[in-house]
Amino acid sequence: MIVFLVFKVYPVILAVIMSFQNFQGVKSQEWVGLTNYQNVFELVRFNQALANTTVYTIGTLLILIPLPLILAVLLDSGRVVQSTVFRTLIFLPALTSLVVAGTVFRLILAEDGFLNLLLSSTLGIRPLRWLETADLALPSLILVATWRWTGINILYFNSGLVNIPRELYEAAVIDGASPLQLFWRITLPLLRPTTLFVVVLSIIGGYQVFVEPFIIYNGGGGPGDGGLTMALLIYRTAFTSFNFGTAAAMGVILAAIIFVFSLIQFRYFGVFSRED
Amino acid sequence: MSKRISLLLLVAILIGSFGFGVSVAQDATDLSLWVFVDRHGLFMQQQAERWNEVNPDRPINLTYEQIEYTQMHDNLLASLLVGAGAPDLADVEIKKFATFTKGDIQFVPLDDAIDPYREDIIQSRLAPYTAGGHNYGIDYHLGSFVMYYNTALLEAAGVDVNSIVTWDDYIEAGKKVTQDTDGDGTPDVYMASIETTDIFSTYAIMLMNGGGTYNADGEIILDSPENVAALQFMQDLVHVHGIARAASGGGHHSPDHFVDLTEGRIASLWMPQWYMTRFPDNMSSTLASVEVVRPMPIFEEGGYTTAMGGGTGTVITNQIDESKIELAKEFLAFAKLTYEANVALWTDLGFDPMRVDVYDDEALLIPMDDFMGEVPFTYIKAGLGNVAPEYTGPFYPEIATIMQTTALYDLIENQKSPEEVIAAALAELQAMGAEVGG
Repeated sequence: MIVFLVFKVYPVILAVIMSFQNFQGVKSQEWVGLTNYQNVFELVRFNQALANTTVYTIGTLLILIPLPLILAVLLDSGRVVQSTVFRTLIFLPALTSLVVAGTVFRLILAEDGFLNLLLSSTLGIRPLRWLETADLALPSLILVATWRWTGINILYFNSGLVNIPRELYEAAVIDGASPLQLFWRITLPLLRPTTLFVVVLSIIGGYQVFVEPFIIYNGGGGPGDGGLTMALLIYRTAFTSFNFGTAAAMGVILAAIIFVFSLIQFRYFGVFSRED
Repeated sequence: MSKRISLLLLVAILIGSFGFGVSVAQDATDLSLWVFVDRHGLFMQQQAERWNEVNPDRPINLTYEQIEYTQMHDNLLASLLVGAGAPDLADVEIKKFATFTKGDIQFVPLDDAIDPYREDIIQSRLAPYTAGGHNYGIDYHLGSFVMYYNTALLEAAGVDVNSIVTWDDYIEAGKKVTQDTDGDGTPDVYMASIETTDIFSTYAIMLMNGGGTYNADGEIILDSPENVAALQFMQDLVHVHGIARAASGGGHHSPDHFVDLTEGRIASLWMPQWYMTRFPDNMSSTLASVEVVRPMPIFEEGGYTTAMGGGTGTVITNQIDESKIELAKEFLAFAKLTYEANVALWTDLGFDPMRVDVYDDEALLIPMDDFMGEVPFTYIKAGLGNVAPEYTGPFYPEIATIMQTTALYDLIENQKSPEEVIAAALAELQAMGAEVGG
């Protein structure tokens, strides 16, 4: 309890207090009311970071929900030979050090790297400058996220699939349902709680993304700050500008965004528990 | 009798050994140092050994810890903020220094320790580590910009490296060197690469053209005509003359850029003198053997011949025990500013020293195995005729961040005008609370 209070509650309270202070440098705190919050919304970078983070989160949702879901169903269907091997391989990235992965991805994304080679040999696309083009920063980060999180999400979906009674499928098959109908009518509806759980986790993870851009872009926001995320901006404001007040205000705003999504989560889960 | 003697001897040995132990423990003052480059730590330790030889009555015991660049600065900032956990001495990189000067400065002023050496050093090197009129840090090197040429590529294009004196010469030579060898419409060899996610290439041109980020009065001068012209020059190298390209990966320390240099796709680049070590360390010995160091081209006769780039100042934190302050200050000046130390900066670290009088020391004039077997220091020294000063101020880190994230990207990749790029940068600085004049 004491550990929880000291390491969890105290920093949160301190951050909220700091967000109402002009706190630039050592021993410089003074109360400034809502000035930090006003400043935050005037910063071009903040809006850019908020937009980038939102696009990144949506991007990860669009890929990291359907892809692992389909893969989990396939692996669970018994039609894949050596499914345990596949599962392990897909899960491995989650265990890999991101520092190593960051370096490898820099080489993969380089102009003469593997990704361009793959794209040009299969789709005939001219080499793209992934690491030097602002508009390609978020797609690059989403690619890394896909690599990293697909395995974990498969694990979640898999645990959901195990809980679906086999009799339902057997009964449906006897009634002449096609595999596609089984998926749409049984698997998907019964996986809804798991899917929602993964969605909310992905949203929280998406808004908090820090390590991926930090590693790939050497602590920066990438070309033209195209990969600047909220967490990176908070870090930059605190540790480059030594402006803990504004950084704390950004942190509170980020926490508020995540809090709203968490509320939605509780509501949906509440609805489901009544259904049960 | 013999028993008594034995006893006396035992007591004497005990006292003697105890006394010796105490005297060493009391005399050797422990000093801790944080660095982010291991070579810096080793260098300081060697200097501590030298100090102990010269000052046997006041020995020091220097221990250093190497921590990764970002983490070291963050840890230092956090330690200073909470008032505990900081080392006695620490390396602070030039772009990070101003961050530490906000609020109450947590470093010990070094003015009186530097005073005895002031006349011997290039004093503008102290400016980046100065705040409120006090010197807080001493650098490891001068960091003067030099040009690195791949002689194999230049010779293949029929260019004599020694014929390049002015930037006009450089551009003309660049047009010969830049070539589309496979005929696909994009050059395969460029004369130069310039950075879009780091500041070295552009700051060199800004400073050599009489611009920079701050002036001597501490005012932000990003929108000065000299800076506008410098940014235009950079953009023109890429889009008008077509002799330069944005460095792969955005910066000159990117692994893919090292590959470009190694593969002979980039014929030259300008970086501070310390970049010399990158050729054998990060690229290949084959490349290092064909590269040469030459002075920077100049804009006009009588103008600046070079500028200083990058740097790391060693500081003393205010968490040092008060009894150690004077010794630490004296040692720091000894380790960085004495004649012997400055010779060692070149021989041990491969850095250009900031003391003028060591330039003719024979230790600096030994031919190297790499760099065509030349004596690079001859050319480094030749470039030091008129070094552009660099002034910094409280928003120096933020300006660097803006330059290396959006400004240079917009200038080079999006081809926005220098005026537009600078106006956006100034607006952003203003939103952060900086006074931007006008």
